[in-house]
Amino acid sequence: MTLPNGKCLTAYHQIRLKLKASTHVRRTTHAIKTLGGPVVSAIPAFFPTRNRAVVCLCLVIAVITAIAGFSLTGHTPTSRSLIPAVFAAQQPSAKPWPVSIDYPEEGSIFPPGITPPTILWRDAAGASWNIDIVFADKTPPIHFVTGGERIKIPPIDAQAVSDTNKPPTLTAQQAAMWTWTPDPATWATIQAHSVAAPATLVISGMRDGRTVLSQSRVAFTTSADPVGAPIFYRDVPLMPTLGVNGVVSPLAPDAIHLIHWCLRDIRKPASRVLLKDMPTCANCHSFSADGKTFGMDIDGPANDKGLYAVVPVQKHMTINSKDMVHWNNDGTVGKTRVGFMSQVSPDGRYVVSTFAGPSLELRDSYYVTNFTDHRFLQVFYPTRGILAWYNRATGMRYPLPGADDPRYVQTDGVWSHDGKWIVFARAEARDPRKPGQPPALHANDTNETQIQYDLYRVPFNNGKGGTPERIVGASQNGMSNSFPKVSPDGKWIVFVQAKNGQLMRPDSQLYIVPFEGGVARRMRANTRLMNSWHSFSPNGRWMVFSSKARSPYTQMYLTHIDANGNDSPPILIDNTTASNRAVNIPEFVNIDPDGIEDIEVHVADQRAIADTRK
Amino acid sequence: MPKSQFDSHLHHGPLASRLIGALFVALGLVLALLAPTCLSAAPNCPPPPSMKDRLQNAPTADDYTDLGVWFAGHDQYDCAADAFATALQAKPPDKYVPHLIFMFGSSLYLSGDLQEAIPALQEAEHRGYKDNRLHLMLAAALDSTHNSADAEAEWRTALAFDPEITAALDALSTDLVNDADYPSVIELLDKPRVQPQRTPTQCANLATAYERTGKPGQALEVLRNGLNTSPESAEVAGQLAALLVRSSRDEEAASVLEIALTRNPDDPRLHEAFGTVLARLNRMPEAREHLERAIALGDTSPDAKSNLAKVIQALGAAPQSLSP
Repeated sequence: MTLPNGKCLTAYHQIRLKLKASTHVRRTTHAIKTLGGPVVSAIPAFFPTRNRAVVCLCLVIAVITAIAGFSLTGHTPTSRSLIPAVFAAQQPSAKPWPVSIDYPEEGSIFPPGITPPTILWRDAAGASWNIDIVFADKTPPIHFVTGGERIKIPPIDAQAVSDTNKPPTLTAQQAAMWTWTPDPATWATIQAHSVAAPATLVISGMRDGRTVLSQSRVAFTTSADPVGAPIFYRDVPLMPTLGVNGVVSPLAPDAIHLIHWCLRDIRKPASRVLLKDMPTCANCHSFSADGKTFGMDIDGPANDKGLYAVVPVQKHMTINSKDMVHWNNDGTVGKTRVGFMSQVSPDGRYVVSTFAGPSLELRDSYYVTNFTDHRFLQVFYPTRGILAWYNRATGMRYPLPGADDPRYVQTDGVWSHDGKWIVFARAEARDPRKPGQPPALHANDTNETQIQYDLYRVPFNNGKGGTPERIVGASQNGMSNSFPKVSPDGKWIVFVQAKNGQLMRPDSQLYIVPFEGGVARRMRANTRLMNSWHSFSPNGRWMVFSSKARSPYTQMYLTHIDANGNDSPPILIDNTTASNRAVNIPEFVNIDPDGIEDIEVHVADQRAIADTRK
Repeated sequence: MPKSQFDSHLHHGPLASRLIGALFVALGLVLALLAPTCLSAAPNCPPPPSMKDRLQNAPTADDYTDLGVWFAGHDQYDCAADAFATALQAKPPDKYVPHLIFMFGSSLYLSGDLQEAIPALQEAEHRGYKDNRLHLMLAAALDSTHNSADAEAEWRTALAFDPEITAALDALSTDLVNDADYPSVIELLDKPRVQPQRTPTQCANLATAYERTGKPGQALEVLRNGLNTSPESAEVAGQLAALLVRSSRDEEAASVLEIALTRNPDDPRLHEAFGTVLARLNRMPEAREHLERAIALGDTSPDAKSNLAKVIQALGAAPQSLSP
């Protein structure tokens, strides 16, 4: 007998639809119970006469009436004299209904020259809106009237559609939003007059074109600090695949060529693709602080995570065999590189990276779980490993004393901009999984192996290292502190804090702490969902980071950071990819906006890699 | 089929009657071998013409399963439940039994027979059947029997599969509010999600939790935000207005109800609430208008009439002129 899954699908589809309807009924019933309680009991015999579908709604009103009615009907001990109590309830006139301005947020700081933003708001009261931008420098206000336009989902990439992802859709909140985008000339005027003092955006909801029913305002400024550099980032489809062996991969091998690497000048309306159609997976990248050297993790044959490309930055870049570092062949530190977060030193002479300890396989040194849910498709973090540094001149790799203790996992090593310090994340080493450990079903499932990293710093000291120093404020706080980045002026460390692990954490939040340690502050730029992959601009005044705040398909945001480490609300970088692709690992590159036009991986090398993968 | 909880239901529980009934249906189908017209012996569950031949000739568990799937595909869930029950009696291979029990339980659930759906779905769960719909249906069915502890566990299991399921978030938060477990409501609803909006039910529950834990400001923010997301929701508008009244912010409550009435102009309870709030604001002529409108629209609440009488008295008019 074959129990026909195919045949069942139709019925199951029906079941699913019906379930939805049934659940709605349940919710209604529950709402009745919820809103009932002591208040509702004061209004007996109302609900039985009503249609179930409207009971919930009516009940709420009953609550109001009951509450207000108490004052009128004398059920409260203080209102025996009923009507006088009513007359005594005179209050000042109500303010207009508050419009929810979702973007930009109060206190936003825009970088000069950024393309016009799309303003977003929700308003239960208005039918049309006055948009007013008021300036502090006596420039006449800018006034627009709009009937409001809904959010339009930008085009998708048809190649990035799969059974395991869903096309982007608007959430109910986004579907309720109205939008307005200033034309470029208007935006230029707004920017020019919002540098010295904030401009105020006032959105007023109108019912008949005259009466203001609703209103809110936000103040924003344009920074005098230019971003000053383009952003290099990875642009990926979210297409997890379930293999025949039941193993989930973040991306099928035949889709790897869909990964792009792009460069974005935020003053331009679109990004440029620098590299695509790679036959193998490339991951974390880093540029030297001087913008002259580029490094990138590349998967080699047989899923060997131990290849690293280091090349000079040029207008037309190529990656050849001679540029490849084979971590796994030098035999200096163990046999396997853990696989991420390699960082080129500020002067481009060295690379620091995380390596597993001796005799460890990859599966013994990091926890990884992939899911078919495209929204958060991977959990990944090392549980063992040391930092080692690679000397490009000699081709040798050495453990970094102070970050090479096998009792700990030491990872996420980054350089201070003067090259004197390595800041890294550390936790007690452990097995990635315990025997019989149940599988995690989604990111942040409590069945994940628990690990909370602390941030440390160690002097590089020409490779001699030193004693690791715990960074107060980014350690021993019950949370996992990871992915540090040091500000170019050396004053700050921005890091990610989450309940567990690192990378792709739904709850990840950005914190800033003095380089020497101190009190960490949660950054204002954080969105509600996943904040990570941050990078400082070369002038240190801007930081780019990734977030899933608006879509499961990750987007990039900017925040301004002043000399005191105060940051501003997130500014979306528009139109970085198709709406069904994600952008991640953004990094400022200290070059002119057109400093790189393309990157080629030498064809012969690509074929060699592809051939050996078979 | 191994002896199990499910078996006990076969012999002793209400499920047994269902299966026995299904057996009769099956017998009816067997009789159809002899006389095709006998199919009408199961008057409410006629099989499709395309399956008559299979059902007339020594039908197997597979045949009855297909029949159940066909019925389910045509929204005939009572018939589907009978067909699946018959399939279970026809000794299907063990490995398909959990799937079959799930379809049986699902059909019972969707036919509205929640009481009988519970043991079937529990048995499917007991046998390790993996499908989140099982937990969703079982949770909803358990809620219907007021077994909120078990229902909450099932909702949480469903949310472990997918933390974003709206139905589970709505229902679990409602159960938790009923249990006065307000910290858990906040924990459930105020954490980051991929879908960054809350349904009106979630708004209402989260606001209730905030208010009951002494955070009325956050409750207000949740409800205002919720109303701007769901302007048509009288549920959210109503709770927001109620909270404002409790905070002695009657003018703002009036504004909220005015907005809600533009979206729901014929809602008697909104008119009643608005009239009541207007009376509190000493805007008696308008209060009278809305209370009268509420009654005209069918509001039978004693408070509506009582309040209207007081308003009329305040206006100096004769109460009897307001009698329906």
